[in-house]
Amino acid sequence: MNRRTVIKNLALIIGGATLLPSCFQEHGKASMAFKKINVSADQERFVADVAETIIPKTDTPGAKDLSLHLFVLKMVDDCFSKKDQDAFMAGLDKLSKEAEKRYDKPFGQCSQQQRESLLTELDQKQMAYQKAQNAHGKNLKKELPADDMLAFYGITKGETIFGYTNSKYFMTKQIVYELIPGRYNPNFPVKNLKAGIKHG
Amino acid sequence: MSANNTYDAIVVGSGISGGWAAKELTEKGLKVLMLERGRNIEHIKDYVNANKAPWEFEHRGGRTQKMIEDYPVLKRDYTLNEANLDYWVNEKESPYVEDKPFDWFRGYHVGGRSLMWGRQSYRWHESDFEANLKDGIAVDWPIRYADLAPWYSYAEKFAGISGNRDGVPILPDGDFMPAMEMNVVEKDVSARLKSYYKGNRHMIIGRTANITVPHEGRTNCQYRNKCWLGCPFGAYFSTQSSTLPAAMKTGNLTLRPWSIVTKVLYDKDTKKAKGVEVLDAETNKTYEYNAKIIFLNASTINTAWILQNSATDIWPDGLGSSSGQLGHNLMDHHLGVGASGMVEGYEDKYMYGRRANGIYIPRYRNLDGDKRDYIRGFGYQGRADRDRWSRDIPEMNLGGDFKDALAEPGAWHMGIGGFGETLPYHENRVYLDKTKKDKWGLPVPVINAVIKDNEMKMRIDMANDAKEMLEAAGVKQVNTYTSEAVLGKGIHEMGTARMGRDPKTSVLNGWNQVWDAQNVFVTDGAAMTSAACQNPSLTYMAMTARAANYAVEQLKKGNL
Repeated sequence: MNRRTVIKNLALIIGGATLLPSCFQEHGKASMAFKKINVSADQERFVADVAETIIPKTDTPGAKDLSLHLFVLKMVDDCFSKKDQDAFMAGLDKLSKEAEKRYDKPFGQCSQQQRESLLTELDQKQMAYQKAQNAHGKNLKKELPADDMLAFYGITKGETIFGYTNSKYFMTKQIVYELIPGRYNPNFPVKNLKAGIKHG
Repeated sequence: MSANNTYDAIVVGSGISGGWAAKELTEKGLKVLMLERGRNIEHIKDYVNANKAPWEFEHRGGRTQKMIEDYPVLKRDYTLNEANLDYWVNEKESPYVEDKPFDWFRGYHVGGRSLMWGRQSYRWHESDFEANLKDGIAVDWPIRYADLAPWYSYAEKFAGISGNRDGVPILPDGDFMPAMEMNVVEKDVSARLKSYYKGNRHMIIGRTANITVPHEGRTNCQYRNKCWLGCPFGAYFSTQSSTLPAAMKTGNLTLRPWSIVTKVLYDKDTKKAKGVEVLDAETNKTYEYNAKIIFLNASTINTAWILQNSATDIWPDGLGSSSGQLGHNLMDHHLGVGASGMVEGYEDKYMYGRRANGIYIPRYRNLDGDKRDYIRGFGYQGRADRDRWSRDIPEMNLGGDFKDALAEPGAWHMGIGGFGETLPYHENRVYLDKTKKDKWGLPVPVINAVIKDNEMKMRIDMANDAKEMLEAAGVKQVNTYTSEAVLGKGIHEMGTARMGRDPKTSVLNGWNQVWDAQNVFVTDGAAMTSAACQNPSLTYMAMTARAANYAVEQLKKGNL
């Protein structure tokens, strides 16, 4: 390991430390200050584990690498109504308990498969709920689902994906985002879309 | 009165039409004072968010609860967003009263809404100017297409409008720069519509005030699609990019921000205006400025407000109110009706660059022998687009494969939304609230306007036709939408000081002069006698240049 690599890794560790609950932090508190919601370190970790299940680390970075859980919490804190925030926090705890009940260990310690199975169930419930609502001709988008777990998962999933697809990583390494395209090509081959291929 | 408070002309407002008035009058040698009620926004330097990447916005462009609380009107539409929040009026400082719901989206700063406008630029047609006469609606326009045609050319050449000469009879071609291109789906949809409707309906690329070649020291469009943050390239027409530098270059312009014009000062002896009263928005001090001619370009509702607050000792309802029409006949384009669906195929195609423009379907209803159960018509704006990420696959809702799929392009879809003509109804109006005051203690405007039967019937066609056309063009799973018909959403307010042929039934004459004070010109949306269904700003530009030319001619002849 040469000097430059050491410095780079050190920077990564220091950078990462602000995102992870660590012994330097006040015990039990989330790693970030919120204005409206009250989030404990455990709750933050749970949101991070849910986000990581949606966008897991593979050969490319996952939700935790990109701190998407902090983005989710920031959005909940700033952009959602009191009612939605309450549903989110209540759903968070319910789902966390539900996971422990089902698998006898905290959600974060479950296998990816167990975690996926639990969340996929919620996706299916949500779809069934939506179908029922649509059959009644109601506009679902306006009202959050009555089930707090669905509310929590719906917000977490939506904001995780929103945060991911709007992250610098995604927009520079997964797709090509140019601030100044300088041209419009209305007949652009899809095969050239991926990052790393020359555009124009 | 000190001499330095006296100018040849005063222009009230610095938006699209005010900027044009300042340019035309200064270029003709007049010393002009342009008054703007809000702060200054300097070209490029003050476009603070224009060069931010999407991930640099704290909420990635979203809206916070605080914003929703602070902007009870702006929140009603896409207009409330994190990226250009500073360009919208502070609603707490400048409230208004809604007798009926009316979305009033304002920009109180130098450049006004020319900074955030949609840039779609269409000429009116001869029949639009004849429609009121033909239908026996309101009053006849005192001008015809031929009166404006040379001024349309003049405005297009300077502002820089890109578009094709499409040869669609109802939508006169103009002096355009090279058009932007349609994407593959739009091209096919356009061709299918043409064949299905045997050449009677057209889908064309939008005509937009984004320049496609360098022009007047401005750089051509860079396909960022961030226009409403302010363009660092000056690639779309705004006061800042276009008319203001031209006016400044003459050395004849004085721009005074933070200047709320509270009154036009009327001289009973000369029967003309002698100047305006200004309340300094920062110091609350009152000033008087004098000029031989005054152009009111404060935007439709505020121009009416200034007139209604002026000369009340002679006319209780304000300067220009002798006809009883001042503040009345408020119009907007009614919208929020259309359809969208999925487009199959074109899997190997995408587009590169972000085109700040869509497609346009010019009006076809009640034309060429078509007869509906309503009068006038509507046009559509829309676009075909491709989702950035993969469509929802039920069995793939999370996990590694899902993550990878987010970077894949999804399905193509196509949507169109109508812009309908609203008739000038006398009872749709604005007036001053006698009790409620704004931050500066000034009476606030009250807006009372709704659409009626003619528009409601039109909206049925707007939805059904959209579906029929998309389906005819091969679009699948087409759904229509019809949102509540609230005026103001079109951000095309018009008509509160209409032009006409008779001082008994109109506020302005055929040269945009207030009948009751002929050295006062109104050349913003307030002047409009009817609304047509095309986006109106290009018409304001042409009308302003024409009126300014006339005003200077008359001034030279000693008639003003």
